Amino acid sequence: MNRRPGFLVYGLLGAFVLGSALPLYWSFLVGSHTKEVMTRQTPPLLPGGHFLENARRVFETVPFWKALGNSLLVSSVTATSVVFFCTLAGFAFAKLRFRGSTPLLLFVIVTMAVPTQLGVVPLFILMAKLGWTGSVWAAAIPWIVTAFGVFFMRQFLVDAVPDELIEAARVDGCSQIRVFWTVGVPAARPAAAILWLFTFMQVWTDFFWPLIVLSNDNPTVQIALNQLQSGYYKDYSLLLAGTSLATVPLLILFVATGRQFVSGIMQGAVKG
Amino acid sequence: MTQDLSTPVGGAPTMGASPTGASPSAGMPTRRPPAPPWRQRLHHWDVTLSPYLYISPFFLLFLVVGMFPLVYTAYVSVYDWDLIGGQGEFVGLQNYRAVLDNPYFLKSLVNTISIFVLSSGPQVVLAVVIAGLLDTRLRASTLWRMSVLLPFVVAPAAVAIIFGSLYGDRYGLVNEALGWIGLSPVQWHVDRLSSHLAIATMVNWRWTGYNALILLAAMQAVPRDLYESAGLDGAGKVRQFLSITVPMIRPTVIFVIITSTIGGLQIFAEPRLFDTTPAQNGGSDRQFGTMTMLVYDFGWHLRDLGRASATAWLLFLVIIVIALLNFALTRRVRSLGGSR
Amino acid sequence: MQRRRNRRVRLASGALLALTVGLVAAGCGSDDGDGSGDGGPVTLSVATFNEFGYEDLITEWNAANPDIQVEQKKVGTWDDAKDNLYTKLAAGSGLSDVEAIEGDAMPAILAESSAFVDLTDPALDGRWLDWKAAAGTDADGKLIGYGTDAGPEGICYRADLFEKAGLPTDRAEVAGLMGTWEDYFATGEKFVDAAPETAWYDSSGGTAQAMLNQVQNPFEADDNTIDVENPELEAVYTAITDNVDKGLSTRLPQWSDDWAAAFQNDGFATMACPGWMLGVVSGNADGVKGWDFADVFPGGGGNWGGSFLTVPAQSDHPEEAKKFAAWITAPEQQAKAFAAIGAFPSQVDALDAPEVLDMTNEFFNNAPTGEILSNRAAAITVQPYKGPKYSDILQAFQAALLRVDDGSNTADESWDTFLSDVSALS
Repeated sequence: MNRRPGFLVYGLLGAFVLGSALPLYWSFLVGSHTKEVMTRQTPPLLPGGHFLENARRVFETVPFWKALGNSLLVSSVTATSVVFFCTLAGFAFAKLRFRGSTPLLLFVIVTMAVPTQLGVVPLFILMAKLGWTGSVWAAAIPWIVTAFGVFFMRQFLVDAVPDELIEAARVDGCSQIRVFWTVGVPAARPAAAILWLFTFMQVWTDFFWPLIVLSNDNPTVQIALNQLQSGYYKDYSLLLAGTSLATVPLLILFVATGRQFVSGIMQGAVKG
Repeated sequence: MTQDLSTPVGGAPTMGASPTGASPSAGMPTRRPPAPPWRQRLHHWDVTLSPYLYISPFFLLFLVVGMFPLVYTAYVSVYDWDLIGGQGEFVGLQNYRAVLDNPYFLKSLVNTISIFVLSSGPQVVLAVVIAGLLDTRLRASTLWRMSVLLPFVVAPAAVAIIFGSLYGDRYGLVNEALGWIGLSPVQWHVDRLSSHLAIATMVNWRWTGYNALILLAAMQAVPRDLYESAGLDGAGKVRQFLSITVPMIRPTVIFVIITSTIGGLQIFAEPRLFDTTPAQNGGSDRQFGTMTMLVYDFGWHLRDLGRASATAWLLFLVIIVIALLNFALTRRVRSLGGSR
Repeated sequence: MQRRRNRRVRLASGALLALTVGLVAAGCGSDDGDGSGDGGPVTLSVATFNEFGYEDLITEWNAANPDIQVEQKKVGTWDDAKDNLYTKLAAGSGLSDVEAIEGDAMPAILAESSAFVDLTDPALDGRWLDWKAAAGTDADGKLIGYGTDAGPEGICYRADLFEKAGLPTDRAEVAGLMGTWEDYFATGEKFVDAAPETAWYDSSGGTAQAMLNQVQNPFEADDNTIDVENPELEAVYTAITDNVDKGLSTRLPQWSDDWAAAFQNDGFATMACPGWMLGVVSGNADGVKGWDFADVFPGGGGNWGGSFLTVPAQSDHPEEAKKFAAWITAPEQQAKAFAAIGAFPSQVDALDAPEVLDMTNEFFNNAPTGEILSNRAAAITVQPYKGPKYSDILQAFQAALLRVDDGSNTADESWDTFLSDVSALS
């Protein structure tokens, strides 16, 4: 077998990871000093002791708790909805035979190329008509189902569920819904977890649509950041403390489920 | 890329309704003779109708949140439509004309493509290299993989703020660092190409690790015996990488580029938050204004939803054209590089 | 292995969901709580931008009015507030019970006056300066906005930098150097010759805006037709863009990061200062010594900004909102806001109130800001006509100046772009 890689490989990778981490460190660094730090000629190298104070000012300046709550709520509800509807449809496309399945699947694939955010104008008009603007649920609307989700689940389930298993279940007299429940759902779990995570990320980081449909007093995290950014005095300690705070929840999620992220991306590549 | 989508799903034609069976819309069996018993008919319906039951919630919702907006955008785009006043007169293609005549349209289009090229080009090269480094027998390989993915958890808005704090025109850290090594400061928000570079850095920072993992997956699918025989021929690691790995993963590289096209052409948060004041819209002279920013500008600054919709549709067409170009390119590369 | 990972995901998502529920519950606790329940206390939201100096006043109101509790919502700049405002106007919901409107944008709001409550009240006749009341009244004579502050302008200057450049530092002497725009710019040229590291004024945009506030019809004729190719506007444009090459301008966009940093870095020596700007200067220049405030304005007097309070028709509590807006824009209250942040009153009775006249400002070398601003207010002779597109055109005009500042366009190119921007507005 091959040798273990040498210093060069570790060195290069280490340099890349350092470069990846540096902006985050900078964000925390500035966020932990007073605002005068940005006007200094040479920035400090070590974090200062003002992070909590800056964080407190973030919470005073914008409704950050509410923003965190809204983001968590919208992202997790949307992710769950995507997983539910897309697993159902993905299973049908992967394992059931029905008229029109091929054109319908093609339709799904083609619409994956349609950028949903280009529909903002009608969605906004619709939300305004329904009186939903300003409500966090409006922020979820464009994401509650995604064509990608169906495609992703379908691709996974085609291989993950052996046809024999379905056949066997059916011979036993199982109804379709039981086949789905007893065979499809357990098999779909790993992919569903990945889809959940990715949808969560996508909704959490969305900026354009919430900017349009939400208001400053009931924001998501990204909109709260925008609000900090358009502040009157450009106070980078405040701003970057806010940015650090906004990143923490996803960082926690990432540390807890990093392996899923990694395998999800790598599977997506092979499947996609 | 392994699935051929044109074949009927499900593989083996052994199960379910017979191919000649009832069409679900007709609901009645076409073959009359012995009327099936009640139970069997129920089972038949279960088999034929269930799939539609499974896909219909998705399609119904998708029609509302995915399809309706697209079609309705076209409708709005041919009307005078004020953000506050609402629907006005039918104006035909006048909004499209107004948008196309607006000098910012071409500018935004060029900016969008330029930022996209600057961000996907270097990114793919770097991602290939990182993937190559990861595709060795590393200790703690999962940890390394997670580490390169770290920037992916930072939302674009946060990325824009962090990098924005580094790219000040006069008092920013990047310019100061340039000063230390004797270079003159760069007007990051003024010089068009520099602003594109600054924004592309944000995109690259966030996505390189992500794409490296996709490419890594492709690399791991390369048969190992290819390397072994190359190793016997005396080819070095770098040589092997360039002559075996890179050609083998070319389809995946194209895939990476295509997937980043759709997102990349809609870039909004980074340039929007890169502006020095919220009154601006991609720099004083739209140096870094993008297409999606133009949609926002028309709709929510000038309060003209008609022109915003026309811009959205034009952007949609641009994306389709570029996606088709990519697709054609992919096919070409595929036929050149053999099947995989 | 796979199974264990799934469990971890489930745990993580479970934890997130739990956190979500907790946070939302916490978040809703302080929700607007419109409390439409009859008889119960009403909570009003009041949206302001920049600084209005209302914090203590609202505390005072809340203590005196247990039935109508007021909650202030502050956003950064007017530009941010404006996007938010229009989006919610379009949506027909989501606005606060009282919305502050920047003076220059008021004409555009008057064009949408049906979306706002008519605040006309005979008891308040004569409360405001005539021009201020007129600027808050729509074409049908409905009073839509209660005036808060006015923006009579003086000149803020750095006495320490003046001294270094060999200019006089005394307020009266400084005032003698800048009676007209020509004098002001000529003094500036002397200054930058002596101190080339420092610009004369803070931004082209701000200075141009000050000049525009002395033009009768800057962008629009009295019938609201757009006319930007008028000689007065072109004169302002030429003067300001010519100054760029002479080094008078910082060449920075007003309100940008670099602009804010320039306060700390001796970036410039003077700026046009309406009353409300005093607070901005002392905030940005925190720790910098040497600021002073001269009783002069080039070309006489000028009014920059000053805001209004409106009550959107979508408010659930229009009566209470109107009551509060009337209270907080009363002369006594505005005099206190002036003491807090320097927002000069637009109310007739506040102009000779002792709190206003006797006001001095420590940060500005104990300048008698009350007296100076009163003099400046008296010197105002022109109230420019501002039509519904004023605010949008102004934004385009300042972008045009910025293109010359940052060197991305020549003055002529930038003017052409400005004309194209304006034509896209209609």
